[in-house]
Amino acid sequence: MDESLRKPPPRSWVQAWFDPRRRDLGTFAFVLNRVTALGLTLYLFLHLIMLGNLARGPEAYGRFLETIEHPVFVFGEYLVVLAGLIHGFNGIRIALTSFGIGVPYQKRIFVALMVIAAVAGVIFGVRMFAV
Amino acid sequence: MLAEKTAPKAGENTWLWLLKIASGLLIITILIIHYVVNHFVGEQVLLTYDDILRYYSNPIVPIMEGIFLVFVVVHALLGLRSILLDLHPTRAVLKAINGLFGLVGVVSIVYGLWLLIVVAWRGSAG
Amino acid sequence: MGTPIWKITCQVYRQKDGETAHYDEFAMEADPDEYVLDVVERIWAFHDRSLTFRHACHHSTCGACGMRVNGVEKLTCITPIREVTADGGTIKIDPMRNFPVVSDLVVDMGLFYRRMELVGHQPVLPVTEAGVIENSRRPQDRDGQEQMLRLADCIECGLCISACPIAATDPDYLGPAVLAGAQQNGLDRGRHLLEIVDHEEGVWRCHSVYECTAVCPSYVEPAWRIMDLRKQVVKTRFKRLFQPKGK
Repeated sequence: MDESLRKPPPRSWVQAWFDPRRRDLGTFAFVLNRVTALGLTLYLFLHLIMLGNLARGPEAYGRFLETIEHPVFVFGEYLVVLAGLIHGFNGIRIALTSFGIGVPYQKRIFVALMVIAAVAGVIFGVRMFAV
Repeated sequence: MLAEKTAPKAGENTWLWLLKIASGLLIITILIIHYVVNHFVGEQVLLTYDDILRYYSNPIVPIMEGIFLVFVVVHALLGLRSILLDLHPTRAVLKAINGLFGLVGVVSIVYGLWLLIVVAWRGSAG
Repeated sequence: MGTPIWKITCQVYRQKDGETAHYDEFAMEADPDEYVLDVVERIWAFHDRSLTFRHACHHSTCGACGMRVNGVEKLTCITPIREVTADGGTIKIDPMRNFPVVSDLVVDMGLFYRRMELVGHQPVLPVTEAGVIENSRRPQDRDGQEQMLRLADCIECGLCISACPIAATDPDYLGPAVLAGAQQNGLDRGRHLLEIVDHEEGVWRCHSVYECTAVCPSYVEPAWRIMDLRKQVVKTRFKRLFQPKGK
């Protein structure tokens, strides 16, 4: 007797992907990776487009450089640096465990790598904002 | 069951996933070089137009940056595709995504390589 | 010295055919060392006979009593009350995620069981085929005697599927339990398994969240098994590249 399956109660993808409440550390890593991935992809295409200013010659590029010296842009770029650090280090963890290396310690590896990312983030922050 | 009618072809994804991981690791390596050069080597934090031309006049630079560009675009689009796959698109929508991302990837890479060539050519000419 | 009795409030998910889902509250007394399932049974026995839930062995072997307690996947027959609340506290009891709800706390496991059969998950294994990392104690076979058998770790409770964020948005994803079952079988033994697991809804869909391993009550470590299965798939695909066609 195969009744038609009732649908599971709907759960929006926002909640399914980005709600870390009462979840384990791995969900936190997943959310971080996904958010940084989206941010970095957006930055990638913006970066490619903005570099088109190079083709327009030194005056256009000089004006572009002046625009991005504004603190809002510098802060945005700092977020990109942080995103790159987080996404890159987490990616190393994923690459390792995907080949079976370090799976029993993957939580500790994640924490250690994020600590390194945080330290690097502080160093970059000091360099970028203390100038 | 597995909805055999709409099941994706087995096997293609092994290579896509390997490509994603390999490109990711390569990106980390080149990114370090790319970042160091662009922000630590010039006199100011951001390279000026002339700094860039000088940097790109060395042929190994556009080659490295070109490889970097290809792998970053591939990795980003594969990643976006993975995220969209989690939304469980129909086979038709997935084909459209594959086509669109393929197009965006090719256009981005061609544009980026063109930009590299322009800058390298100006650098060597100037 | 009497055992302490805690007063707790239970908010239980209710959904019958045609109704909107809602929570019913029950004020219960519970020994902190008894299990969530015991409390659910008492709610049914003494407060509301229309409450539907699954239970059988009461000792973490059958996998029937998986539910969410305060939003976290638990096998309720081995989850003590003191683990999830305190005296005067509240516990929220929901059915597992990512399965269709049949009635109250009972979900439809049909598709899941069919997938477990599809990958040939064995409920009983020889002890020498434990295959679990970190457990390298493998008893030797006694010469000439039958191999000792053990129950497989996976009790098909479905908690890992409930916890997996990919299963949440993609019902076609095979899911941790199914992929772990395929790994238990092994690609060299189950040649047909390669086609089943090597595609977007199979082994490549995993995003290394590790929630499955976190909630598994039975030491299956599905996340590790998925990674191991990936290695097997990659090895097999590479080997096939260099083998003549028609193998």
